[in-house]
Amino acid sequence: MRRAKLRGLGAGAWPVVTALAAAVLVLDLLAWGYGEAPLATLGRAFAGTWGTPYGIGQVLFKATPLVFAGASVAFALRAGLFNIGAEGQIALASLAAALVGASLPAHTPAAVALPCVCLVATVVGGAYGAVPGVLRARFGAHEVIATLMLNRIASAIVSWSLAHGAALHGTVRTADVVAGARLTSLGTWLPAWRGSAVSLALPLAVGVCFAAFAWGRSSRAGREIAWVGLGARASAAQGVPVARRLVQAMAGAGALAGLAATSTVLGYKGYYEAGLGAGAGFAGIAVALLGRGHALGIVLAALLFGTLDQAGLSINARVPREAMDVLQAVVILVVALADVAARDAARREATT
Amino acid sequence: MPTASLRIVADGVGRRYGAVRALADASIALEPGEIHAIVGENGAGKSTLLALLAGARAPDSGTVSVGGVPLVPATPREALRRGVGLVRQHFSLFDALSVEDNAALGAELTRGFGVLDRPAVRTRLARLAERAGLDLGALGLPAGALAVGARQRLEIVRVLWRDARALLLDEPTAVLTHGEAAALYATLRSLAGEGRTVAVVTHKLDEVLAHADRVTVLRRGRVVGSWATGATSAEELTRAIMGDASLPTLLRLEPPSVAPARFTFSASEGGLDLKLEVRPGEIVGVAGVEGNGQRELVRAIAGLEGSSRATVVLDGVALSGGPAERRLAGLTVVHEDRQVDGLVLDATLGDNLVLGDLGRCDEAATIARRIRAFGIVPADPSVAVRSLSGGNQQKVVVARALDREVGAAVLAQPTRGVDLAAQRAVHAAIVEVARAGAAVVLVSADLGELRALAHRLVVLVRGKVAAELPIDVDDATLGRAMLGLEQVA
Repeated sequence: MRRAKLRGLGAGAWPVVTALAAAVLVLDLLAWGYGEAPLATLGRAFAGTWGTPYGIGQVLFKATPLVFAGASVAFALRAGLFNIGAEGQIALASLAAALVGASLPAHTPAAVALPCVCLVATVVGGAYGAVPGVLRARFGAHEVIATLMLNRIASAIVSWSLAHGAALHGTVRTADVVAGARLTSLGTWLPAWRGSAVSLALPLAVGVCFAAFAWGRSSRAGREIAWVGLGARASAAQGVPVARRLVQAMAGAGALAGLAATSTVLGYKGYYEAGLGAGAGFAGIAVALLGRGHALGIVLAALLFGTLDQAGLSINARVPREAMDVLQAVVILVVALADVAARDAARREATT
Repeated sequence: MPTASLRIVADGVGRRYGAVRALADASIALEPGEIHAIVGENGAGKSTLLALLAGARAPDSGTVSVGGVPLVPATPREALRRGVGLVRQHFSLFDALSVEDNAALGAELTRGFGVLDRPAVRTRLARLAERAGLDLGALGLPAGALAVGARQRLEIVRVLWRDARALLLDEPTAVLTHGEAAALYATLRSLAGEGRTVAVVTHKLDEVLAHADRVTVLRRGRVVGSWATGATSAEELTRAIMGDASLPTLLRLEPPSVAPARFTFSASEGGLDLKLEVRPGEIVGVAGVEGNGQRELVRAIAGLEGSSRATVVLDGVALSGGPAERRLAGLTVVHEDRQVDGLVLDATLGDNLVLGDLGRCDEAATIARRIRAFGIVPADPSVAVRSLSGGNQQKVVVARALDREVGAAVLAQPTRGVDLAAQRAVHAAIVEVARAGAAVVLVSADLGELRALAHRLVVLVRGKVAAELPIDVDDATLGRAMLGLEQVA
């Protein structure tokens, strides 16, 4: 029993280890290709991330929206739905949170302002996520297509709003949210992180991620969502409200994505501007796949991608930042392949 | 046809799946020209033994030899190369591909440079289809359009396509009607007559005694014995299969009440044109050749999406809405395809036992009660239901359907592929809900089951009630009715 458990853990860790090895190898190759010494580049990448307190803070900052987005994609995936729309959900929720946060009376206490703004982000993200859920449940429209389209629509809504009064005159940013709606930077308490943008949004992200999975495991709706994902026909035949569960899964995914606004708008800038937080939604797909449907896995995967992101910045002077995009793509591919291999191995283990 | 004979021997083979020992020290010899039946309860190791003989699994111990040569490596590919073909319990056809493409898949005839030789494929297929009793008219259709019986034949064509000299079939008649099964055995007999080796795993002892030459009984992973069918009897085989466990006698049915109908169904579209009335405590048996509206009937009663519109009345209330609402109103349904409509295979046993019942029952107690009442093995709610044997999967479906307040129960093939002991448990549960006053519709391809449980028979032909018959009707009349030759009595 214990040995089997350990072996299971090994099978779980194997894709991550492979991905890390591949990342290092590809980074070396890229650096070499640009005429840099691979080892020195690797050293620089490390120094810029886990090598200094500031680097660590920045990695955590980059990882925070990825935790939300990864949890979002993973949440929908439990129902067998692929949420490609976290990007749009994040953008709309961020804009709405910033506008509401800025329109509150200047001296609103944090105890009122924060929940209020978080609620707005949750509701807007959730409502926007529910749209493809309804389209899927009611009309059978595939959620991948729907969410991709809705991303473009969200981006159009955001641009239009910023151009028509949502932004400060002559800029593409909103007004500052009130002080009570800001999430404190962790550097306030940990002097070593001073200057880095990691904020209270990080513990919030981790807490929300674990809470979302706990809800999925223990609530009636959460469990039925997973059953619908595993066997929609049997669930329908046995009286599980399949349509409602699909909509709930997508709404939940949207809400989780929307909360990513806390890390950018509330914890970092204090306002929303065009492009803030862009890319996190798509990166969330990779995070969810690497996280393999576990809360802890998603947090760790977000840390990995946050590290790659920050590493890219720190070697930017020598190796173009796009190299990091290549690196991320390689990691995703390797994870996908290793995952398939690990699953095959597990199946052989179970049946032969 | 090249039919050099092929003797297949397993010598002391054993096989474990994780902690479960599926087979231990089993020996069997399949002789060319014989139909060899392998029988035993669910989980006795029948399918495992067949898988070892066909190279689909490698034995942990002992050896399998084909034509005197050890089967190494033990892979389906190697077995097929040596002429051993396996027809699995759950079909592995590509529904979207034509019958022709399904048959030739992976062993296509080509003219060189990989160009398909369609005419050659057709000629060969026509010959093999005839050998396997597959209707030639079906060759151009997509496999998904075939009825179950024809799909079974197509699976056989597939192995014949690869020149199989031995055919191993896992419960080939589980989904067939009585007549279809007899026709299938006639085909198998003629294939055996050409010197082929035929092995059949089945639950149906009457088939074994009527059609097989030799029978091997497995119990709990061990071979109990092997008999020439002429030298044994149903009683002896039953004892061998069940061991010392005494057989519970089937509960005797009380006559149906004369009360007015508790459950009525009527439909006149979507391939259905019939009216059905069931009184409280009454069990109405629905017989018919597979594909004559049984599936549509059950789906329409359940209110599944995409099913035909129909009027369903229970206790004077017209049921509308989906399965969830109807279930709350006291309707319970067992669908025939348990793996698709009945179970979430990758969820746990416990989850499946309360699928659709969350929030309406004490979960732990309900799971424990259902496992206990139906003797589901293993009794561990945390195992994936996929890992259960077919019979135990069926018990899960039936347990969930019948362990509740039932107003009307509609059960399609409730004991398909289920062993004797489980069959009796399921039958007892059906009788129990009827005795408690439920109106029961029993759709079954097993005439013995219908006769044992139902109060009267309704024969479906092309979605219509072709005949209503008493349960003691003779086989010939019933058979004619099922073929649409007998008019409404």
